[in-house]
Amino acid sequence: MDRPKKLSTPRRKSVSYAKWGYIFIAPFFITYAIFHLTPQVLTIYNSFFENYREGLTQIGPDFVGLKNYITLFTPDSNGSIDILKYTGNTVALWLGGAIPQIIIALLLAIFFTSTRLKIKGQAFFKAVIYMPNLIMASAFSMLFFTLFSNVGPVNQLIVQMGWSDHVIDFFAMKFTVRGLICLMNFLMWFGNTTILLMAGIMGIDQSLFEAAVMDGAKSIQVFFRVTLPLLMPILIYTVITALIGGLQMFDVPQVLTNGLGTPNRSSTTLIMYLNNYLGASKNYGMSGAISVIIFIITGALSLVVFKFLTKPQDG
Amino acid sequence: MKASKTKKVLSLILASAMSLALLAGCGGTPASNSGSNPTPNTSGSTGTSPANDPAPLKEGKVFNIYAWNEEFKGFFEKYYKVPEGVTVNWIITPNTEGAYQDKLDAALMGQAGAADDDKVDMFLAEADYILKYTNNGATQDVTKLGVTDFSNTYPYTVQAASDENGVVKGVSFQCCPAGLIYRRSIAKDVLGTDDPAEVQAALSDWDKFNAVAEQAAAKGYLMTASEAATYRVFSNNVSAPWVDANNNLQIDASIQTWMKQAKDFSDKGYTLDCDIWSDECTAQMFADGKAMCYFGPAWYFNFSMGNAQDPDKGCSGDWAICEGPQAHFWGGTWLLAASGSDNPTMLADIMNTFINDEEVCSMLVEKEAQFSNNQAVNAKYANDPNFGNAFLGGQNDTAMFAEMAGNIKFENQTVYDQLLNEGLQANWREYCKGTVTEEQAMSNFYKYINEKYPRIVTP
Repeated sequence: MDRPKKLSTPRRKSVSYAKWGYIFIAPFFITYAIFHLTPQVLTIYNSFFENYREGLTQIGPDFVGLKNYITLFTPDSNGSIDILKYTGNTVALWLGGAIPQIIIALLLAIFFTSTRLKIKGQAFFKAVIYMPNLIMASAFSMLFFTLFSNVGPVNQLIVQMGWSDHVIDFFAMKFTVRGLICLMNFLMWFGNTTILLMAGIMGIDQSLFEAAVMDGAKSIQVFFRVTLPLLMPILIYTVITALIGGLQMFDVPQVLTNGLGTPNRSSTTLIMYLNNYLGASKNYGMSGAISVIIFIITGALSLVVFKFLTKPQDG
Repeated sequence: MKASKTKKVLSLILASAMSLALLAGCGGTPASNSGSNPTPNTSGSTGTSPANDPAPLKEGKVFNIYAWNEEFKGFFEKYYKVPEGVTVNWIITPNTEGAYQDKLDAALMGQAGAADDDKVDMFLAEADYILKYTNNGATQDVTKLGVTDFSNTYPYTVQAASDENGVVKGVSFQCCPAGLIYRRSIAKDVLGTDDPAEVQAALSDWDKFNAVAEQAAAKGYLMTASEAATYRVFSNNVSAPWVDANNNLQIDASIQTWMKQAKDFSDKGYTLDCDIWSDECTAQMFADGKAMCYFGPAWYFNFSMGNAQDPDKGCSGDWAICEGPQAHFWGGTWLLAASGSDNPTMLADIMNTFINDEEVCSMLVEKEAQFSNNQAVNAKYANDPNFGNAFLGGQNDTAMFAEMAGNIKFENQTVYDQLLNEGLQANWREYCKGTVTEEQAMSNFYKYINEKYPRIVTP
């Protein structure tokens, strides 16, 4: 008599839990469908059309098949294919900022969570390293432009200190322009990464570290044998989100180079290229095609990063 | 139990608030944006409406003006009496990289569907892209609105605002013959004189100009503060437009002369490699600046040479103007009547005020140092021996401009001018700096064109 009652209660409960689960995740899926999935499908659809504006006259949309893609991959008079060049620029700019960012963030995360070091004033340091991320990227970029311009304080300092007898045009050299962009991206994002990685390290069972220390492991051994393998899932997440953010790099180089990607378009990123088409001509066909290429590149690179970083764990 | 229920309710509210906030972000169309985004200082001018203009007509209560800077807004608020009950709404978007045109295009293309109070009533346009708006239905015939008397205006300003059939779509409140603006003290040092007539004699053609550049450099000065300073003079004297009948890009011989001069000046250190609007260029306008020549019309030294007018670091009065190597004009602001405006009477009234109201035009010349678009008013000041501009050391610039205004021709313009001019200067600057080869600079310029204007055929 009692048994069926007892059994029926948990069954009913599990049904109602599932319902609540769906209700709670519904807002995400609804907003995702409206704001992500629909535009994504429309972008792919648009990329097969000739659709732009000439003054106030709308041209198209006319179906042109793969013509936009063919235009994208047609080499210019110098024999270089623009979209590949800009992909290279983007990846170079991303790596230049992301590698130091991950290394420094990992180091800081270990220092901050280390029970041996017990760094004082952690809250202060955490706030300070996160600070640059609070400034809008374009404002940060504008600030750097002003600092490093030919009439800016950095050049005044260089000349007054006698390090150089003429001003250094930071925006005419590929190395310095790219360096500044990487530096800005590094400064803006290493605090955020540090906090993510700290959360990851703090999620690891403390007794594992203690056991390793008891067995006589050195700090470096603890790091490579305990921390790093157990931190992998968070690290992969960090690298992939940084990668996606990096491939979408736009505001920092756009503002720093006034949209031109100087010198010689060597700091033009993929999104800046896309933006060029969206400017005066509202060329939805070409920019749609570029978006699809960016989507494919992002997907492929994410897969590479995922495979590359998960492999050691399997072995 | 109670606590968990409260938590559920709370989290539901939070979740829905978040998604609502997301949805709210995309509610505004470009047209309604303008309504909900009034720029400051609009209500101030409404209160001071005169008794002689009660405006009983059933016209819109909101007058929307699109502009790219505050120049005309300043004159409008000082000299135009807004009818009672009408709010003037300024929608100001900077000009760079075509941002103003983008904003304006979106508003004009949505004009038909916009609510009356959100409709564009009047918008400002420059010579570089005025054709884009006059040659189609975006603008309307102002003679039908009551702007009919153009007898005092300069013919080129009317021609520029007319479509192919001669229908006038707007007016300009200024006439913009441009000259060579030079630092008196530097001219004295380099040429031994600062008298406009003698300086003009020394700089009357490009060979003389280039020779003087060498002399100036020898004394440690810069001839110009930007290699693009002389660009307008050349681009205004082209013999053919940027594109031919078949949409092929053509770089006129006059532009090519500028390209050679820019590289030459840059290599020899006669100028700086920077944009004419950059801080680097305008820093040379301070008293300790080294640049001798700038080129521009009245609005340039009134509105764009703020550094020279700076009370502490500036050098107001140390300037003068002469015609320079070639006659040219630069810019000018046209007021265009948008089709579908719900304030036609006020629209016509504004236009008439700024071209035919003698008092207002006189104020523009006298108080704002403008060269007005009213020949009679300009002549009055040109012939007044006591009239002079303090910034130019007392020189009567109106007399100078009145003489030059007759030479202005509005021809060989295209809808592409603004971005092509900007693009050539920016890409060619890289060659002047030496960071790219000539071929690379041109190839980048062609890429720039292909991105902006797919229909232009580039080499």
